[in-house]
Amino acid sequence: MQKIYLILSFVFTLLALVFSIMPMDTIALLPIGLAIAFCLLTIRKSEGNKVKIPKWLLTISVLCSVFVIGKTLLIKDEVVVDQTFEQQKIETKQEAKKELEELEQLENDLE
Amino acid sequence: MKKIFLVITSILLLCSFRATTNSKIKSGEKLVYTGSYNMSGLMTQLAQVTMSTENVSTSKNNYLHLSCELATYSKWDKFFKIRDIYETYVDPITMKPALYKRSIDEGGYTKKEKYVFKNNTVTSTARKRNYPESVKKFTIKPTSIDAISILYQLRSVDFSKYKAGQTKSYTIVFDEKEIPVTLKYIGKETVNAGNLGKKECYKVSIGAKTDALKGQDKNLIWLTADDKKIPALMKFSIPVGTGQIALSSATGI
Repeated sequence: MQKIYLILSFVFTLLALVFSIMPMDTIALLPIGLAIAFCLLTIRKSEGNKVKIPKWLLTISVLCSVFVIGKTLLIKDEVVVDQTFEQQKIETKQEAKKELEELEQLENDLE
Repeated sequence: MKKIFLVITSILLLCSFRATTNSKIKSGEKLVYTGSYNMSGLMTQLAQVTMSTENVSTSKNNYLHLSCELATYSKWDKFFKIRDIYETYVDPITMKPALYKRSIDEGGYTKKEKYVFKNNTVTSTARKRNYPESVKKFTIKPTSIDAISILYQLRSVDFSKYKAGQTKSYTIVFDEKEIPVTLKYIGKETVNAGNLGKKECYKVSIGAKTDALKGQDKNLIWLTADDKKIPALMKFSIPVGTGQIALSSATGI
């Protein structure tokens, strides 16, 4: 049983690391939470010097949680100024104005 | 994301109950929202939704330009960049649409649509990436309007006269077809409305005959219970999950 817990601790700690590095926001807290839970279970089921690895994994998971929570609280979500998008908006507006003029012209001709 | 937007617009749009013809919408209004999606039980902020109004004049007429933009936050851009524009040009008094345009860019998938409203007929032009342009002409109900203008029209509805549970049917034009929707006024609730603080709001449920919406009374919108009726919060439920659009700032109102 201890081995299974250790494997799960390792897998979830690895996932926690990957999710923390990637911009997964608070979703990373899921593997982190599972990693911490399995690390604690492994430590509880381990005897003597076998707790060294799960303790390391637990430390990594806790550090990941601090990193993710810190990112969430300190880094503000923002939309970058996208020049292509801004240009597209200007062009769309100009195009629409032209289309409205054409529609009005068409209605005039029909009348 | 298209589904999410349809839900958002449906939620907003569909809440049109019967709108009056006197528009209270001013030019220069800007509403900024934070769009979040429920991922494995955690509400994750994905995109910014901006709704703005502006006067546009041609040589003969004046129009109110109603625009709704959707842009993912920079941290998601590398994964799945979204830059959508939904806009409509309406009569500033009657709020009847003349031209509705939709331009979407979602993770490389692009689509452009144009709907020209003339009496009870709509001529739509759609262009998807790698597909030839398609033109469709179809008849609509006299009360049918586009997805954006209805968002604004619903703000002219006097919800104070509605009783809890009162429903109203309506139709909107979306994806080159008419979609029937049923709206249900639920009651009043106080919610956070960004820079406006906590506000008492009208809570309205939206049900549409579309696969995009899921559940009963799970697609909801809260409109401030004042003259402005600013959409303060929207919650949606779609086949792939749930999410919400929360007002973060309202200016020019």
